[in-house]
Amino acid sequence: MKNKNIDLSVKLGSLKLINPLMTASGTCGYADELDDFMDINLLGGFITKSITLKSRLGNDVPRIVETDSGMLNAIGLANIGVEKFVQEKIPIIERYKTPFFVNIAGETIDEYVAVAEKLTQCKRIAGLELNISCPNVKKGGITFGTDPALVRQITGEVKKVVKDKLLIVKLTPNVTDISAIARAAVDCGADALSLINTFTAMVIDIETKRPVLANRTGGLSGPAIKPIAVYLVNKVYNEVAKSAGVPLVAGGGIRTASDAIEFIIAGATAVTIGTGSFVSPDCAVKIIEGIKKYCLRHSITAVAELTGSLK
Amino acid sequence: MSTLPSKKGIFTASVLQNRGLGDKFFRLSLELEKKANTLFSSASAGQFVEIDVSQLALPTEKLIPEKLWDSSQRNVLLRRPFSFADIDSSNDCTIVEILYCVLGPATLRMKTLKTGDAVNLIGPLGNGFAIPEDKKSVILVAGGMGAPPLIHLAKVLKKQHQDMTITAFVGAKTKNDLAFFDIKTDKLKKKTDITLQEFAKHNIKTCISTDDGSAGFKGFVTESLKNRLGENKPAGEETIIYACGPEAMLSATAVLSSEFRIPCQVSLERRMACGIGLCQSCAVKCRDKTSGTLYKLCCKDGPVFWSDEVVWE
Repeated sequence: MKNKNIDLSVKLGSLKLINPLMTASGTCGYADELDDFMDINLLGGFITKSITLKSRLGNDVPRIVETDSGMLNAIGLANIGVEKFVQEKIPIIERYKTPFFVNIAGETIDEYVAVAEKLTQCKRIAGLELNISCPNVKKGGITFGTDPALVRQITGEVKKVVKDKLLIVKLTPNVTDISAIARAAVDCGADALSLINTFTAMVIDIETKRPVLANRTGGLSGPAIKPIAVYLVNKVYNEVAKSAGVPLVAGGGIRTASDAIEFIIAGATAVTIGTGSFVSPDCAVKIIEGIKKYCLRHSITAVAELTGSLK
Repeated sequence: MSTLPSKKGIFTASVLQNRGLGDKFFRLSLELEKKANTLFSSASAGQFVEIDVSQLALPTEKLIPEKLWDSSQRNVLLRRPFSFADIDSSNDCTIVEILYCVLGPATLRMKTLKTGDAVNLIGPLGNGFAIPEDKKSVILVAGGMGAPPLIHLAKVLKKQHQDMTITAFVGAKTKNDLAFFDIKTDKLKKKTDITLQEFAKHNIKTCISTDDGSAGFKGFVTESLKNRLGENKPAGEETIIYACGPEAMLSATAVLSSEFRIPCQVSLERRMACGIGLCQSCAVKCRDKTSGTLYKLCCKDGPVFWSDEVVWE
């Protein structure tokens, strides 16, 4: 079987991606930062850093700390705000062919709706990713993502204004039952779910007896969380996504093609690279090649067949 | 500094030498793969590279200092940033010098690099020191581990701006902490009188300070600088200060810069996960004409900043 016979494309709702590789929000900037390292057009999709209604300075430093096979971050949704994003970043996004998804966040449902309304007017944006899972802000973020009633409300309200854009809802793992949250999002119009955001965590400086991060807590990401993420993806796939026919955009510690394939077998349609890009900014394109080789080795003609193939 | 995005890439380098300078300081010479030549030959002093140390093994147990026994057991995931101490670009071959101090699990692993080993790095990153054409006199202020980019800058200035007068102020905790320098002791003088070859070879007048008085002036480097500025009162429009070192030293240098009205560029250090503007972790609080303050990124907007744009805390 030759390379060209492998169909790497996947479908996210009504949208066809050339392959399952996407960037994870908050780890890949607005695309041009990565230009020197890879051809963005080779990616299946690009998810930008979070955008809020007004610009946000972000948290004090230290904003990160390395842990065993992972890291904690507490950036605090630092971003330029939706107005400036539309003026300055949309022209950058327009340079690429890749479908772009903008991650949106806010302190109130009205703010989410306002950002969504504004971005829905941008033709070049393929969809929005609803960030209801950021653990590093005092208001909004994770507060929405841990309460099924609020998830219903916010998903429903945003869905009303996004029209033909794809609506992805990004879930937090910091809940008792992630499937209950997933179900709430799907019931109220989510076209896809993305999981998982980071785990709330803390590192303590034992000399000063203070948390290392200025925000005290941060979100744990990187290879350390991968097996938990694979488990949660499989759980949501089995309990919600498969029967509802809603695709999963999954990630958590992916660095290699085999990491990505694990997630796809667990139930993911697309996979996201986050912390991996910090270490190897070109790893997404290498993973695409690795997936091709895996498919060849297993005589798989379409990568979409792999989704949820866990025995 | 300039905010134009600079070209960068991921490259492999081969270790030419990894030499110990005292017990915890090292000089790492790396020969870059050929395709990095163009980018690195135009790199400037103050820029840096991010080195991947995640694949390196720990030294044997007896070579691990007691203070690092605990932290050495941690895995290293993220790359580590290092300023250039020198870039030598000639005959299609680029050699980069890094000076580092063994402080944690990453640098402890770097200690094991041997001649011929391959190292993966990303660079050249950030914005280096800007050298205005109208300056006649340069003051370098180096504190502790902040010396490497200023050693590089001194060489560049001597090569490209021969008519500039350069004075260096170098501070460290003790004489032993000046190990990034090749130290010569003049036997006829007191043992606290030492010469730093990296500056002496360019005829750069150097004032040394140590906290304990084991070399040069006893006290902070910024006290020594303040005394000198008070005596000489250099003309602000002709003079520029370049500083790199601990944040408190940079902050004190910024105060002197405004007191004596001499423009000053500082090279800052922050925890970085990526070094290329993705993670937003290396925030530097800066002044903004319209909105008061804003965070710039040390990796992308810096690491060199004008001292009066930084909000010192």
